[in-house]
Amino acid sequence: MTRYECMQALAARLRDELVVLSLGGSVDEWYNAAPHMRAASLFQQQLGCVTPQAFGLAAGLPHRRIVSLDTDGGMMFNLGILATLANERPENLLVIVWDNACYLSIGGPPTHTASGLVDIAAIGRGAGLEHAYTAESLADFDALCAQGLATAAPFLVVAKVEAVVQPGIRRKHSDGREDKYIFVRHVEATEGIVIMGPSEHN
Amino acid sequence: MKPDAVEAVIAGLKDAGVSIVCYLPDSLLKELYVALDADPEIRTIRVTNEGEGAAICGGVFLSGKRAALVMENSGLRAAIEPLARMGMGAGIPVVMVMCYRGQLGENNWWAIPHGMTMEPLLQAMRIPYRIVEEASAIRRAVAECYAWSYASYYHSALVLGGSVVR
Repeated sequence: MTRYECMQALAARLRDELVVLSLGGSVDEWYNAAPHMRAASLFQQQLGCVTPQAFGLAAGLPHRRIVSLDTDGGMMFNLGILATLANERPENLLVIVWDNACYLSIGGPPTHTASGLVDIAAIGRGAGLEHAYTAESLADFDALCAQGLATAAPFLVVAKVEAVVQPGIRRKHSDGREDKYIFVRHVEATEGIVIMGPSEHN
Repeated sequence: MKPDAVEAVIAGLKDAGVSIVCYLPDSLLKELYVALDADPEIRTIRVTNEGEGAAICGGVFLSGKRAALVMENSGLRAAIEPLARMGMGAGIPVVMVMCYRGQLGENNWWAIPHGMTMEPLLQAMRIPYRIVEEASAIRRAVAECYAWSYASYYHSALVLGGSVVR
């Protein structure tokens, strides 16, 4: 299965959730697969930060479902977050790990999962997560997303996807700073709060 | 850490509207962690490394809540990568409270690198910081860290040294 078709399936299930996603090919893919989630998605370039940031959002907005779109390389960069999630037990956090067994955006050198020995879902269970699963098919992935979006516990889905980027998709032009403003203004508007307010004087 | 300093840090965090504190415990601030855990107005999140804590604090910022990262100053080294990406790349601020391990007076050989690296790293990262040596200066310093970070959307740091922690 491809990451893009998984994204299309996940996108169809999302409405008022907030999404944090990783760097690389998944940026443009999500930009195309989920145009209705554009302002609700934080596009960043931060290996190892994606799921911790999503958890911070989940802690700050416990009434709102947060989705982390992480990667095998990103999760392996900071496995400790799985233990933190197990201990903190956020009830509103779905973590997807796109596991293509390589660092695709820099040409495809293998990640640790390429050996076939490293199992991120098993690491998640070992860290204490009750819900940590691997999806090998699109049907399984979609069903796990449905379950994860409805479960009041941290929920990890490791999607074993092909090492390809969807061809023919539009590029996202904005940088991380513009994307942050777009995201923050969306959170402000939908939550009725001020995060980045005016200075004392103009 | 002395009781009046513990009280001043927590009062300053509450003045600033902080409701979530991420920390990785150390010995100089150990009384602060206990007090934070016991405070019903503050949620504490224990992390596996300070970089993870910085990223969680960044997520809390994006939620509209306010967070602090409390740690030994050695944690700054572990947190540099996410701090650089979040702060310089996107303008997502993290306010840090750290002890000054390795300051003059340090009597542990393993802590000397913490003192040697902290200020150069803060300066390299262009993170403004204030080293406080008296508990009476803490509350205002915390407030000024938050004021600056929420105007610049960049990190700031309060460093607890001297008689505040020993």
